[in-house]
Amino acid sequence: MHESKRNTRNKQADIVREYGPFPGVGRVHGVTFDGQQVWFATGEKMAAIDPASGQIVRELGVPAYAGTAFDGEYLWQIADDRIQKVDPKSGRVVATLPAPAHGRDSGLTWAEGMLWVGEYRARKIHQIDAKTGAVLRTIESDRFVTGVSWVDGELWHGTSEGEQSEIRKIDPESGEVLERLRMPEGAEVTGLEADRGDLFYCGGGDSGKVRAVRRPKTSAQR
Amino acid sequence: MDSLIASAARALAVGDPLGALARVALRDDPPALALRGIAMAQLGEYDRARELLRRAARAFGPRERLERARCQVAEAEIALAARDLRGSPRALDAAARSLDMLGDHANALHARLVGVRRLLLLGRLDEAEEALAALVTEGAPATLTALAELARAEIALRRIRVTEAEAAFGRSHAAALAAGIPALVAEVERAGRALSAPSAKLIRAGSTRPVRIDEVQALFESGELVIDACRRVVHGPSCSATLAGRPVLFALARALAEAWPADVSRDVLIERAFDARAANASHRARLRVEVGRLRAALRSLARIDATRNGFALEPLGSRAVVVLAPPIDGPAGAILALLEGGESWSTSSLASALGGSQRTVQRALRELEEADAVRSIGQGRSRRWLARSAGAFATTLLLPGALRVR
Repeated sequence: MHESKRNTRNKQADIVREYGPFPGVGRVHGVTFDGQQVWFATGEKMAAIDPASGQIVRELGVPAYAGTAFDGEYLWQIADDRIQKVDPKSGRVVATLPAPAHGRDSGLTWAEGMLWVGEYRARKIHQIDAKTGAVLRTIESDRFVTGVSWVDGELWHGTSEGEQSEIRKIDPESGEVLERLRMPEGAEVTGLEADRGDLFYCGGGDSGKVRAVRRPKTSAQR
Repeated sequence: MDSLIASAARALAVGDPLGALARVALRDDPPALALRGIAMAQLGEYDRARELLRRAARAFGPRERLERARCQVAEAEIALAARDLRGSPRALDAAARSLDMLGDHANALHARLVGVRRLLLLGRLDEAEEALAALVTEGAPATLTALAELARAEIALRRIRVTEAEAAFGRSHAAALAAGIPALVAEVERAGRALSAPSAKLIRAGSTRPVRIDEVQALFESGELVIDACRRVVHGPSCSATLAGRPVLFALARALAEAWPADVSRDVLIERAFDARAANASHRARLRVEVGRLRAALRSLARIDATRNGFALEPLGSRAVVVLAPPIDGPAGAILALLEGGESWSTSSLASALGGSQRTVQRALRELEEADAVRSIGQGRSRRWLARSAGAFATTLLLPGALRVR
């Protein structure tokens, strides 16, 4: 659960592009990527931007106060103490699950029929069954957990604690920190999702921005 | 920030403290305590609010310095709204410095404005003006600009710099509208009404009429000799003399000014200055002494000529003599006029400035307090009196970073 001194890679995050702030959007919570658009949670609604133009192209009136995920067909969105399954075509909530930390939940990601949910101040990540909401296992981190993202077999999470924000790769078994991308001062990470290329999209909290950060190559690619 | 904290913060932002409480009522983690505190403050439960914010500030971790400092500023602002001025301003100063250091300049400014408003409430006008002058409000959020300009307007008004007060009220109003906080707009408008309300009465050649504060300022700039019974000062074209604390001299000056250009008989002067019905020889001797003192005090403003009957005032370098009197007569009006200057006064200093007995002053203060026109701070010998309107704006709680507790 703690960082290994030997081989943790630790470098400055490379911010490729910033989107927003957008009119009428205060805080950006969760983010996800549906293959074309970047969705983000803005409190009373979810919004999607076209990453090429940077314009908002869709909005859904779904309460959206924390993590956001996409399973290939449905969006998943945390609000208050529940996880909503949202049909992106209609904007309808087709199912809801109790959130594992009863509203203390932050980030959300989808992987192989499971949801992974960050518990912010408890510094935990819960793996839950996406049908029942049952908690299958819990990983401990040593920093507040914001966004969570599974990509190419790697588990990453965002953290903002004190004035320090990072994007961290952790060992999903032990919680050991394997890699750290340090965000510049003042750039919060409130949501996290990888695209299909080499980017992470990060929710920027109070800045009202979404930031694209270059994702390091996987160990297989190196 | 977690899901319920985010949605509770959102509820607070749209003015729904009950909705916010419903989300975090049962939670005791520091962000939840802070949001509960802010919700309680918005509901007017100031004591509970301060206790919650104090607990939140203690519970935030060592790395969460920003959150802790914001809680301290919120707690200080609630103390101000509750008119609890006992605390030391040192914690607030320290919080402002931390916020600046951590890059939260808006809340640092907010903290310093809480400090300025506290000084205004304490009647420490000079210190408030100095502190306000040191603040950088360029590029600040509209709410904070509105508050800073309101404080500036208040000070200018107390100092009878009406043009400056009007301009500051205008900027404050525009900023409050831009901020879109109706309570703040209402507060600025209410405070701005002091500009158009009659603030004194003018006695000129035997006739009396009410005057607004801008007319008072115009009068001071007119070059006329103004015997100001509100502030107990005699203003001339190039200098002025204060007679606060010299009630006999002031009574003589006022009696002479009200009669000007005619003279005033010795008997009338004795009655006005010594409160004596039937003048005797010792009164006449005393009058000679006091007129001598008044001559010395007004040396560069006016001459006091002996006439066959008594004495007459002869302004130097002024065309005319007028009297500015409190809008209501009697000791209560005189006390109120002094307090309207915005400074705090003790009962004994009011008595010595006005020349009434402490008992008369206490009785008048009690009436004024019952009529909600004055308020006091402190107890016993350190008790000070202030006009109700000075620094009265402090009820709109902005609560720093209310929405940014992570």
